[in-house]
Amino acid sequence: MTRPERFRLLATFVAGKSIDIAEATPGDVAHTNGHIVFVSAGKPLAEQRREALVQSALLGAGSLDRHLVKVLRGRPAVARRYLAVEGRRVLAELARELPLAAGLGLAAQTSSAAESLEIARGRTPVDAAPHWFGVIKPSRLLDSPTESGLRAADSDLQLRVAAGSSEDEEDDDDERADESKILKLFETPLMGSRTLSELLAKMFGSSRSQSDNPAGAELQVGSIRRAKQIGPHARPLPTRIRFTDDSKPGAAVGVSGALYPEWDVFNNHYRPDWCRVIDFPLGVAADVSAAGVTRDDVLRRRLSRIGLGLKVLRGRADGDELDIEALIDLVVDLRSGYSPPEHVYAERRKLQRNLGVLILLDVSGSATDIDPAGVALHDHQRRAAATLTVTLEELGDRVAVYAFRSHGRHAVHLAAIKTFEQRFGAVGRARLNQIQPSGYTRLGAAIRGAGEILKAQAGTPNRLLLVLSDGFPYDDGYEGRYAEADSHRALDELRADGLASLCLSVGPGADTAALDRVFGSASYASAATLSELSPRMDELFLSSLRELAAPTPAISAR
Amino acid sequence: MALSFPKSSPLSEGSELLINSHSSAQSHGAAPFYRAVGDEVDIFRAAARRGLPVLLKGPTGCGKTRFVEAMAHDLGRELITVAGHEDMTSADLVGRFLLRGTETVWVDGPLTRAVRDGAIFYLDEVVEARQDTTVVIHPLADHRRELPVDRLGTTVPAAQGFQLVISYNPGYQSVLKNLKESTRQRFVAIELDFPPAETETEVVAHEAGVDAETARTLVRIGNAIRNLDGSPLREVSSTRMLILAGELVAEGITLRGAVHSAIVAVLSDDHDVVQALGELVDSLLPQP
Repeated sequence: MTRPERFRLLATFVAGKSIDIAEATPGDVAHTNGHIVFVSAGKPLAEQRREALVQSALLGAGSLDRHLVKVLRGRPAVARRYLAVEGRRVLAELARELPLAAGLGLAAQTSSAAESLEIARGRTPVDAAPHWFGVIKPSRLLDSPTESGLRAADSDLQLRVAAGSSEDEEDDDDERADESKILKLFETPLMGSRTLSELLAKMFGSSRSQSDNPAGAELQVGSIRRAKQIGPHARPLPTRIRFTDDSKPGAAVGVSGALYPEWDVFNNHYRPDWCRVIDFPLGVAADVSAAGVTRDDVLRRRLSRIGLGLKVLRGRADGDELDIEALIDLVVDLRSGYSPPEHVYAERRKLQRNLGVLILLDVSGSATDIDPAGVALHDHQRRAAATLTVTLEELGDRVAVYAFRSHGRHAVHLAAIKTFEQRFGAVGRARLNQIQPSGYTRLGAAIRGAGEILKAQAGTPNRLLLVLSDGFPYDDGYEGRYAEADSHRALDELRADGLASLCLSVGPGADTAALDRVFGSASYASAATLSELSPRMDELFLSSLRELAAPTPAISAR
Repeated sequence: MALSFPKSSPLSEGSELLINSHSSAQSHGAAPFYRAVGDEVDIFRAAARRGLPVLLKGPTGCGKTRFVEAMAHDLGRELITVAGHEDMTSADLVGRFLLRGTETVWVDGPLTRAVRDGAIFYLDEVVEARQDTTVVIHPLADHRRELPVDRLGTTVPAAQGFQLVISYNPGYQSVLKNLKESTRQRFVAIELDFPPAETETEVVAHEAGVDAETARTLVRIGNAIRNLDGSPLREVSSTRMLILAGELVAEGITLRGAVHSAIVAVLSDDHDVVQALGELVDSLLPQP
């Protein structure tokens, strides 16, 4: 793990605003760009602590404000002298509040940043700064966007997105479907080269075909394995993949995968072992400062109603009311000379929550579409995922979060941000917040893979797969009616296995017609923000859970 | 918490069964230490003269319970405290029938006893209790000032001196429910917050029995944590937490060790956050 992370809160406190800490590239000395403090790599902790302290103190005292730094640009000698004088001043000032700074024993020569700058520009000799003061890099400070250093305003903490200008409307690549028919030629597996099709897609703009034509799906490729099938609707089982390496078997590090079938609507049969779905724990380092999650009280209240209900338990040893029947039995028993235990009370107890939810987050490239206010669809969705996860976890439900994307049928990735067993700690939240969208959406395979995980690991009688996506399946040879039919089929399989499914499309511009075709009218909802959906989230959960033929004992007790 | 029922209660023999209601009577001994910050004492006294119910709001550990204790002592009334919890039912407050031999006997709950005796009834963390439970206080909290006991078929009028006080923490994150609007509009609200640094230093020094310098350091740490921008913590350092740290210091633990056990390790379970918080706190401690 990165060691300087630990100075984050110290730097945040000293600077008075959120500051990130990172190690500078080896050989570089400590500096800052206004919202990240870089400490020199490989130095002892005490040294790094002092470096972080002086840089964040400079930020906190406003010594690196734009008008001051502009003067230093292109004048390294002045910048060095300014740092030596001003660094001592801010540390001496800080020493009144912070014993750590007092321990450094530095004396101030000046009383304000402007005065320090005056001295730095003059000719009076200045004591050289200690090495751990680092340097001021005016270019980096001026390059960095100023607003990121500001305190979060109320509007930043809300899910609501203010309606703003729509300047990038021309950038919309939602041209009509007919244009993509030529492109489709290049997307067939026979053309082989992905690079070529991607190049063409970039040149002409990628778009999806809404027509009923099979994309590349009907083209038979030589590598398809032929197998005798019992019937067209017989569903092939997923084939487990065994990951073995010289050093570590895959299971030991939490990687698993399987080959899943895919429904070919045009030939009306399954293609066995068609998609390779790999699930793996997301192990990237994430900085915990970005672990903020919006809380949604309406959502919490709504979801708390699901699976909760009072039940009268009779004949208890303790309780609020006397259970008259048990009391009569007791008296009869006593009169006839028998002394049974005095279980004569009736008790009202709340039933256990027994809901397991797997949140499947779409992190494909299509989620980078920007809404008029400049917030990417992806950001809407991952915020919604974080809020839902926190809420469900607090309510005591079993919840897991997986992100999915695909690069063709051989690489459908399910990254575990939070498994059922893990807590949704600061690191998990930060990973979710920092995940970057890329790739495509092979929705059917992702649903099948997530369904297997939900079946195997949720361990609750009521299980719900919550898909956060724009609902638009699209991948290599996977689009239009073929993709929608396969996704729909995958959801049918889930229902047959007793899992409920619900799709939430959070963000602008969802194609409700496509959502309707894939998920069915009862199991999707779309809105611009999660908070618009919160007031009816309980109904959405319940309606998708009720669809199941499987028994739902706790759900009916609302 | 000890259960103590006054001997005047006719059925106090059965009261050991009331385990769910953590009730305690405030003894009329030394006055509890409370330092007023704003006008809360005047408002409480005025409300007590009129018998108005009082709602105390404030973050965890800012002194809500201590305030009520101090006021009860000041007014010379008995204080009955009940902590709200999920499984609390109205029977836990009002009372219930118990079996003795082949007979059933009625045992007053803490609320009924407070109504009969004219005590201050303090329902702590009221939102932890279910809303249908807290509805039983409604007739007591308006002009009627009476408690219907449906199981006995009677109505108990509130004795002179009875006052209802409830408290809750508006920002408390594990709360599923808020206070019902119809409940909260019956109350006079007093908002408490962490005291200003000067007052808090005095409180910590007095309660923990440490010198002013240690108390000042602890308060400085507390305020640094409270004012963090973009804090990863759900709850901030409370006055109570600072007092706990101070008590450890008074028992001979080093200041650093006390702060780490009573503040840093308590505020988060996340290893990275604990480590980062440790760095912040270390920088505020006197350097060795």
